Amino acid sequence: MTVKWLMHFQPNQGTTLTSQVMAEACAVAESFPGVSRDGRWRSAMTFYRAVPRDQSLPAPSDLPRDLIGISLHDLPNEYLFVMRSQRLILRAHSSVQTVMDKLQSYKGRFFINFEGLQYKWGDFKLRIGKCLYNPNEALRGIVMEVEYLPLSSMDKSQRVMEEFYEIWREAVASKLLAGQFINTEVNFVEYGLGDSYTPQHTAVLYGMCVVQVIASSNKNQ
Amino acid sequence: MEPQQQAGSGDAPPKQVAQAMDRLGRAARLIAEIRLGADRILEALLVSNENPRLSEKAAELTLGEEDAMRRHFLDLRTVGKQLEDSGVLSGALRSRGNSWGLHMPLVCPDGAVVAYAWKRQLAGQAGASAVDRARLALKAFSDQKRRFFPQLEDDQLNRSNNDTIKFPPTKRPRLLHRPTQSPNIDSTEQKPMLADILKSIQTEAPGVTISTYQRLEWSKRAESLASTMNDSSLDQPKEQILSNLSGSFNEVAVIELVASGVFRVLVSLHPAGSTDPDAVAFFSPNEGGSYLHSRGMSVHHVFKHVTEYADKALQYFQSSDPNKALSHLLSWICSHQSLFTKNCSKCSKLLAMDKSLALLLPPVHRPYLLNSKDHDQDFATAYHIGCSSYDV
Repeated sequence: MTVKWLMHFQPNQGTTLTSQVMAEACAVAESFPGVSRDGRWRSAMTFYRAVPRDQSLPAPSDLPRDLIGISLHDLPNEYLFVMRSQRLILRAHSSVQTVMDKLQSYKGRFFINFEGLQYKWGDFKLRIGKCLYNPNEALRGIVMEVEYLPLSSMDKSQRVMEEFYEIWREAVASKLLAGQFINTEVNFVEYGLGDSYTPQHTAVLYGMCVVQVIASSNKNQ
Repeated sequence: MEPQQQAGSGDAPPKQVAQAMDRLGRAARLIAEIRLGADRILEALLVSNENPRLSEKAAELTLGEEDAMRRHFLDLRTVGKQLEDSGVLSGALRSRGNSWGLHMPLVCPDGAVVAYAWKRQLAGQAGASAVDRARLALKAFSDQKRRFFPQLEDDQLNRSNNDTIKFPPTKRPRLLHRPTQSPNIDSTEQKPMLADILKSIQTEAPGVTISTYQRLEWSKRAESLASTMNDSSLDQPKEQILSNLSGSFNEVAVIELVASGVFRVLVSLHPAGSTDPDAVAFFSPNEGGSYLHSRGMSVHHVFKHVTEYADKALQYFQSSDPNKALSHLLSWICSHQSLFTKNCSKCSKLLAMDKSLALLLPPVHRPYLLNSKDHDQDFATAYHIGCSSYDV
């Protein structure tokens, strides 16, 4: 799988996030020569909470109380679970969602959808999307996924991605967007993930990024 | 001018190929016309110089020629644009996902035009297997002759080595003037052996894994890479052995160099078992499929550009130091381990926007000129395409 970085948009202090910012970010992407639009993309995240079988007994401590489930746009047949407390990731077939529904051991508490536009720029793929809180479609954040197609090694692609990130940040700053994109930093070793990029890496990135997005949106409200 | 019929991508590939061949023909005719026009102008100038009385007529002629030349140039530019759009001049040898196995006609760096790009590879393989078949046939005949007609003393057949077949110089358009060599001259006298070259490269560049294959072995491996790439749990290919993936070095036709996480490079040798490199191509380590061969092209822009540059490097090594061409080439290839980490030696950045290509690329040009000193050639500098000062 090829290397990806995930960033989220941090609005300036005192400003609110609107759909206008999303349009502006897409305009920045389209302003680079050679960029071509490549369709739309969509991922979905579910926050599960454990449902204790017997209400009177305390929940066993070794079972995770919270679970994040992610369905990624480039892997429609799979579903990934992230347990942040235990630093575990599970990769399953997408039909596991029906199993979860039937089992009712964990219930989906709230849902976040990512959807937006996808661009191809030489060996890079950019995906800019809105982070929407499901029930009321409220805009919680804007994320951008950058993928570098030739490489799968995190280590070897580090410098390339860093320079791309700088180029992107400069472009955003020069177009005077009301905020900046912050990269999601994750210590993959804690999750037992290696140098070769996998969907599990993406799942962890999204899990971490969403936490930051929610935190920054709560701060700004 | 005849009406232009655009062969869109909806047309069948044979039509596109025919159109492209037609346009190439037209371009050649236009170029010939331009040459003739230049000749006429020069002649007119010469005549008017010698014969001042005719200078007015000559001036008229010149003006007329100038108009014609301008029209020819405009037409040439249009044809050129059409060719570029249809992918002929960029030399894109994409065999993946291409319908009917046909490619656009390829204009090779040496100027040869190949209507079907796979023709060259097939011709090469056909040539190689024809040599093998001829050798086997000769051996069979000489064995039978010895058995059934022992009384016949025939020096030409009996005394020769089993392997001596002097085949005529094969047409290898990529190579510049080289003396034809029969493959089994005792190479230790003139050139280093393949095994020694590979061993010394392995010590020089420990981060690169080198493997050797016979031609058919490599085709199988390329196909298997396509399926293993889907399994993301696989980190590296298991083959780590330098020596003897093929039984002996006599039949090695493909050398694979893998720098983990950076590149996979294929170098083909022609004839098999020799130390003469024939073609080179760079690929991403996560690519796999039948298009992975030394005359193939990666799907990624960065590797496409490195491969184009590598072609030039190969031609340079072959013309300047044919005996050591393979060593130089392999050293040069190994210097690319830092392809994604080494900054450009001119602008000190890693990624740069190439305006004409509209792409962000790392420095893909690594100068290959050799010093007059023989040893310790380290190809240590790297340039972006736009920063490269060589006129290459």
